Amino acid sequence: MKNQNINYNQDYKYGFTTEIENIKAPKGLSEKTIKFISKIKKEPKWMLDWRLKAFNRLKVSKEPDWQKPKFPKIDYQNLYYYSAPKSMKDKPKSLDEVDPKLIETYNKLGIPLNEQKKLSGIAVDAVFDSVSVATTFKDELTKKGIIFCPISEAIQKHPDLVKKYLGSVIPISDHYFATLNSAVFTDGSFVYIPPNTKCPMELSTYFRINASETGQFERTLIIADKGSYVSYLEGCTAPMRDENQLHAANVELIALDDAEIKYSTVQNWYPGDKNGVGGIYNFVTKRGACRGKNSKISWTQVETGSAITWKYPSCILQGDNSVGEFYSIAITNNHQKADTGTKMIHLGKNTKSKIISKGISAGKADNTYRGLVDIGRKALNSRNYTQCDSLLMGNKCGAHTVPYIKNKNSSSTIEHEATTSKINEEQLFYCNQRGLNQEEAVSLIVNGFCKDVLQQLPMEFAVEAQKLVGISLEGSVG
Amino acid sequence: MLNFKINSNAIEKIGNFNAKEKEFRLKNLDSFNKNGFPNKKSEDWKFSDLREIVSKNFKKLDLKVVKTDAQKIKFIQEFDHNYIIVTNGELTSSNFKFEEKNKIKVQNYLNNNFINKQENNPLINLNHALSDKGYFLEVEENYKLKKILVIYNLYTNNLNQNILNCKNKIKIGKNSELHILEYTINRSKKNFFNNIYENVVLEQSAIYKNICIYNEKSFGYFHKYSSNKLDTKSSSTFFIFPSGLKFNKLDLEFDLNGENSECNLQAASYLNHDDHQEIKTRINHFAPNCKSFQKVKNVLDSESKGIYQGKIFVKDIAQKTDAYQLSKAILLNDDSEFNSKPELEIYADDVKCSHGSSSGSIDEDSIFYLMSRGLNRQEAIKLLVEGFLSEITNEIKSNSIKNFIIGKLEEQLHEHKKN
Amino acid sequence: MLEIKNLKASVDGKDILKGLNISIKPGELHAIMGPNGSGKSTLANVLSGKEGYKISGELKYEGKNLQEIPIEERAQKGIFLAFQYPTEIPGVNTSNFLRTSLNKIRKAKGKKELDALSFIRIIKEKSNELGMDEKMLSRQLNVGFSGGEKKKNEILQMKILEPNLIILDETDSGLDIDALKIVAEGVNSSRSDKKSFLVITHYQRLLNFINPDFVHILSNGKIIKSGSMKLAEDLEKTGYKGIK
Repeated sequence: MKNQNINYNQDYKYGFTTEIENIKAPKGLSEKTIKFISKIKKEPKWMLDWRLKAFNRLKVSKEPDWQKPKFPKIDYQNLYYYSAPKSMKDKPKSLDEVDPKLIETYNKLGIPLNEQKKLSGIAVDAVFDSVSVATTFKDELTKKGIIFCPISEAIQKHPDLVKKYLGSVIPISDHYFATLNSAVFTDGSFVYIPPNTKCPMELSTYFRINASETGQFERTLIIADKGSYVSYLEGCTAPMRDENQLHAANVELIALDDAEIKYSTVQNWYPGDKNGVGGIYNFVTKRGACRGKNSKISWTQVETGSAITWKYPSCILQGDNSVGEFYSIAITNNHQKADTGTKMIHLGKNTKSKIISKGISAGKADNTYRGLVDIGRKALNSRNYTQCDSLLMGNKCGAHTVPYIKNKNSSSTIEHEATTSKINEEQLFYCNQRGLNQEEAVSLIVNGFCKDVLQQLPMEFAVEAQKLVGISLEGSVG
Repeated sequence: MLNFKINSNAIEKIGNFNAKEKEFRLKNLDSFNKNGFPNKKSEDWKFSDLREIVSKNFKKLDLKVVKTDAQKIKFIQEFDHNYIIVTNGELTSSNFKFEEKNKIKVQNYLNNNFINKQENNPLINLNHALSDKGYFLEVEENYKLKKILVIYNLYTNNLNQNILNCKNKIKIGKNSELHILEYTINRSKKNFFNNIYENVVLEQSAIYKNICIYNEKSFGYFHKYSSNKLDTKSSSTFFIFPSGLKFNKLDLEFDLNGENSECNLQAASYLNHDDHQEIKTRINHFAPNCKSFQKVKNVLDSESKGIYQGKIFVKDIAQKTDAYQLSKAILLNDDSEFNSKPELEIYADDVKCSHGSSSGSIDEDSIFYLMSRGLNRQEAIKLLVEGFLSEITNEIKSNSIKNFIIGKLEEQLHEHKKN
Repeated sequence: MLEIKNLKASVDGKDILKGLNISIKPGELHAIMGPNGSGKSTLANVLSGKEGYKISGELKYEGKNLQEIPIEERAQKGIFLAFQYPTEIPGVNTSNFLRTSLNKIRKAKGKKELDALSFIRIIKEKSNELGMDEKMLSRQLNVGFSGGEKKKNEILQMKILEPNLIILDETDSGLDIDALKIVAEGVNSSRSDKKSFLVITHYQRLLNFINPDFVHILSNGKIIKSGSMKLAEDLEKTGYKGIK
């Protein structure tokens, strides 16, 4: 593995590489590659056909170019679409059979997988490049009828559920990167919560990109059946490399009648070095459908990593009285770029949505909130409240707000507020006078600025996220 | 679907132009023909699909130069004013009896700026290609007009499926002040299209105030692009009451080029039937210590559609910018629609920028309160709508002008209800 | 403790302090009175190290030149400013903030940082002493506090952080008589032969409760008269115009 040219960046503590022997798909994007992935995953024919359908669609679709962060052309033929540790070829039956190097990697990341050490109250699916390494707490969950497993396993064991819901929220033809994902997705998590079940613990997937020149195409599908509840967490890191790596995930959520899904992300992919070399292109499609009445989907994201982040976790509020929420913190420093936000599509009656977005831009970074609130003609008595606040540190960075607001009936109300300002000098002075230095003061004030979002995170994540907020901005105030 | 390609001999029919101008016009005509009327695929026209609107309402668009005979108009009696009369876009009369001679210049406008800046608005292309009339108004340095100038924009009753392309320019010299009331009188009962390109230049410490109102409901389809350039310490204030047309898009751009310049824009409108109205503003903060303020209020009835797209851009050197924008809409009918896109693009950190946008139904508690005091529902709504819009009219300083505007708005509201 | 000689300060070329002298020994309480615009708040800001002032003259705290020390180190060395208008910091929990601040100052003094439990014990005790509602501590720092609550919060911080030199910048302004008494009690109960106070105020009111050792009158950037509490009483009768 070539990693001589790494610019060691002390601030990014997850930047190490695991030396491990890999099996890779042939380089490049072709029918052959797709067949390779499908075969190695032992997929049924319907799945391969689905992938090929997406691939055919991809041939006639174009990369979108309306987003603010522009990026150099990606050479799709120069990427690996599948990379997995050799030891994972024959799926280990238990954790004892998993390569200790992999276990060690997750230990280093603070995600112990061992039975004795595993995190209490959180079931983890650990995805390493293109495969799921291990899933903890499986037995406990199975007792309640909850399915939590790698999606590749679900395709084999629960084909009816996968067939019914995969692509039902993000159609194959949605847009370039969603189509690409549909053709070549490798692994990710599958969750099914049966009716009237409250998932007893947090479910979580930890994504790790390790191999170089490899794209990660995760696919996650979460179905909350009638009257159920689940809270799902997602974390991500990658080694420091001077190449840009592509992460193009599709995440679909489906909430049926009276069900609730809470989806939290702490995204800390490698952001590139101080000069903007390297880093992950995080082009992600996340969408949830509130299909049933009284259902609820809530997205919370803390986006601090990636060279370019480009994602709009959205809610389609189909069921009457359904609720969509989006809480976001996006921090960009150095040369990072983020274009993120949400879409709230109100179709059912009495639907409600809430958007709280906090953007912080420092260094030479660019941070855009882009969002759509669309209240349809038939979505009577619906409501949206949006608040977008941006904080700028220094005058080499940019903060932008691009909301699209559509109200198509007179019984619905939309409120949108946005502010942009710099970090308040008086607040800094006050903190300094109480003995805090500049960086501590900034971290404290920014955490306060983000509080409305941070408090949405599950406890275990909130503490980590708060630290991350401080670390991400280190060196940003002169 | 109306296929609206324009033959290049349309330019020759307007007049004989020198090579430079001819090239400029031809190039712009090419651009227009390439794109046609913009549709919703174009970001700036996302909410106003003009191609569809034109196809739906025009069987043809007549490029013929419209004959305009001098016509009598009813002058405003409520306050003293200077005036110019612009008939179908052409300057036909002017009177500055309240002012010193030689301080104000007014003449037919001839464009002499043929720099080929790539315009991405097809209607500007169209105007550059075919504009054949307009006025140029200039106030010399150090002169404050004593009375307001009323521009009577008269559209004659022989307009039918015509398209007009006019180009106007207003220049206000150093330390000078000009107040304008743009008053549109529309006599045509037929559909016609009016495409205006306007250039406003404010020199150092110049003050410009503009109030614009449409006298009666008409079948006009109007598009106006206005470029406003503000030098140091200059200030520009707009009060816009844009309702009364079938389609109206005002695309207003303000470049705050000099330090301490400021612009203030307020709009109030009441739309009904299938009126379609869009206000688009772009405020460019190019210099430090500038202020901008926009407040847009819409009341939407029947199947009307209101749009506000407002962008605030702050360049990195434009520190201490103070920018505020607010749009509010009341929807009175489930078939009405309000869309907005309040946008911020900010590259300087020591700024105060914020925007707000809200839309919703009229407050039921307020209706209930008024009805409990003896008003019927209709009256209660009318009172609340007037109150909602009066926040804008109340900002007009001159009492006589304010009362005149309020009167006109009431007529509009009343007339709309009747229809 | 504090030695100021010929202190001059200006903002954007405008002179505000024009040669101010004052000397404060440990255990003393000095009051500075002055009309609006005399430079009272500037003095408080300059002492705590706020940026934006052009400063000349001598400014010594415990024998060290203050001008070379940044704001937070001054705080860590025991200079405490009770703000005239305490800043609101949204999203930041009052009690967390206080703990962070206290631990920074303890650490600088070489003391052990306090764990959450012992901190809560201290904060409860001190807020009870001041008759403060404990609920205030779980609210966001100064956000939505009434004027009186903000000032009480400043006094609470003063008690908890145990500074050596305490500057009260018009802490009495806008307080009703009950709140004023609480502030005064807070000051009186903190007095010791090691702590010094500089009380900046417009009115005599607060001084009646705290018995200053010295009273100075600040006018147009200079101290024009110094004396005892009697000077404050005279001032109340004649007004600032009477003192020349």
